[in-house]
Amino acid sequence: MSVLARIAGTGERFVHGYASRMAAVVTALVLAFLWLPIGVLVFMSFADGGVLSFPPDQLTLRWYRVFLSNGAARGAIVTTLTISIPATILTVTLSTMIAYAVDRYGFVGRSWLQLLATLPIIVPLVVTGIAMVLFFNGTLGLPNYVSVVVAHVIRTIPFATLVILPTFLSFDRSLEEASKDLGADELATFRQVTLPNVFPGVVAGGLLAFTLSFNEFVYTYFVKGSSDPTLPVYIWNQIRYNVTPEVNVISVVFLLVAVSMVLVAVWLTRVDLLARR
Amino acid sequence: MTDASSADDDTGGADSTAGAQPDTPENVAADGGSTTAAGPAPGSAGRLAPVTGFFRDHPRLRTLAVAGPPYGILVLFFAVPLLAMLLISFQTGQIGGAWTLSNYTGFLGSETYLTVVWRTFLISAQVTGIVAAVGYALAYSIVRFSRRTTLLLLCVILPFWTSYIIRMYAWINILQSGGVLDSALAAVGLPTIGLLYTDTAVLIGFTYVWLPLAVLPFYASLTNLDPDLIEASKDLGAGPVRTFLSVTLPMTINGVVTGIVLVFIPTFGSFITPRLLGGTSNVMIGMVIENQFKSAFNWPFGAAIGMVITVVVVALLLLAARLGGGLFGTGGETA
Repeated sequence: MSVLARIAGTGERFVHGYASRMAAVVTALVLAFLWLPIGVLVFMSFADGGVLSFPPDQLTLRWYRVFLSNGAARGAIVTTLTISIPATILTVTLSTMIAYAVDRYGFVGRSWLQLLATLPIIVPLVVTGIAMVLFFNGTLGLPNYVSVVVAHVIRTIPFATLVILPTFLSFDRSLEEASKDLGADELATFRQVTLPNVFPGVVAGGLLAFTLSFNEFVYTYFVKGSSDPTLPVYIWNQIRYNVTPEVNVISVVFLLVAVSMVLVAVWLTRVDLLARR
Repeated sequence: MTDASSADDDTGGADSTAGAQPDTPENVAADGGSTTAAGPAPGSAGRLAPVTGFFRDHPRLRTLAVAGPPYGILVLFFAVPLLAMLLISFQTGQIGGAWTLSNYTGFLGSETYLTVVWRTFLISAQVTGIVAAVGYALAYSIVRFSRRTTLLLLCVILPFWTSYIIRMYAWINILQSGGVLDSALAAVGLPTIGLLYTDTAVLIGFTYVWLPLAVLPFYASLTNLDPDLIEASKDLGAGPVRTFLSVTLPMTINGVVTGIVLVFIPTFGSFITPRLLGGTSNVMIGMVIENQFKSAFNWPFGAAIGMVITVVVVALLLLAARLGGGLFGTGGETA
């Protein structure tokens, strides 16, 4: 027993003495683990040889030119945008309505609405994906394009709501009271007082929704039927059947879109807001 | 759904114009504001004035007009499909076939499939364990020992927002035989290993994609922990390890449970990572579903497997709720 106590005591003293250095090492190692693969991807997009050769003999912009002259890849980007842009607009509208209703109105089923707006994150993507293909394509017979847009809306609503709702909850309600006291009705108040105040959160929610939709794969993969591939589906086919170094270039495109969108979103809200939610 | 939401905008727009008197300066400002705030043209106001008044007199219907469209869309395009999947899983061969239990008996009676379920469970448990340990250590290091908390957290979250497939592809580059890892090993004179298409590759891939997601609830619960409690524990003579085990960890258990749920559930249903990084011996349940929809075309059977996953997920959520994960509620701690 006393031996155990002594070992425990030594452990305590060790942790006490080295804790902050251990923390620094853990942080550095994990950040390296998270960012090295991305660095490799960017580096390999400039590699001259095939995919299988590392380190590359020489650096080149060749694959960027190949990508730019590849009609299928550009077509995939256009297809993705024709889905992501309407899906984002719908999602932002619906998420703002959810945030407004949850924040302002007490109604029966309010907690159910919140639950429904959270569940798509929790139910495994493959389960929702096949449920959608069964119902949209099998039962309702929706056109493929409509199915994909609706699927993207369902996929992005939870994330947009998680960003937009806090900006409503933290908004100073007395400004609205003042507006109403001065004679404005609910909608005029919403336009002139509420919306300008929550606008950064709404835009941030929209940017995250767009990023998520631009990257969306699982729902799209199941629901899209025979329609044109989106960029993630195109990459999936490339990786599974014929890898070319061009995939590295497309990866860089994805990275740039995601990083710039998220940075603007974070700048508009606050990063700890994302963490708290 | 477009109709529903725009119709709602119209009534709302009319509300504003009808509510403000035409001769007040506020109204002029309100109309000016409407052009920037994506409102409908004020011209439609007169026509809709009766509707507006009706909504003002019936606040419940006004609530319905705001909450109804998103509610309806989530029910119709998310909840109903899941229920439809339950029904279809009891049909033979195709949608609308005769009612049967054969999809379930066929799945649960097959040793091959049950082995796949068990392997999926084991892989998910391993991934969850690794991610929880590493993620918690990282969150703890950031919260307790770092000054640049915001910047570090941003560096952790950012990779999560890039494409899942791209992140897997990055690891193909690294792990394939002759890839980055092998070249690095060879450069320092070690034997190459070619990890791609092994269990290890699958574990690395999953850890990589879910780590940022799990750090968020860990971070949130650690930030909300009152530092006075830790001071009190130390004043009472406990060392850092004992303080961690008897104060910090129990006080942040909600965040831990949330993180575990957020990692285990998507891993259990995943098919992308095992398909791209795993070999033919690393089949997971998600891949079996994908097969039913992409090559075997037995949709009801696929729906039945989907229900099996759902049952596992629901069981886990109930367990987590007992252990105290704050997954729902006002946004909760869900990523």
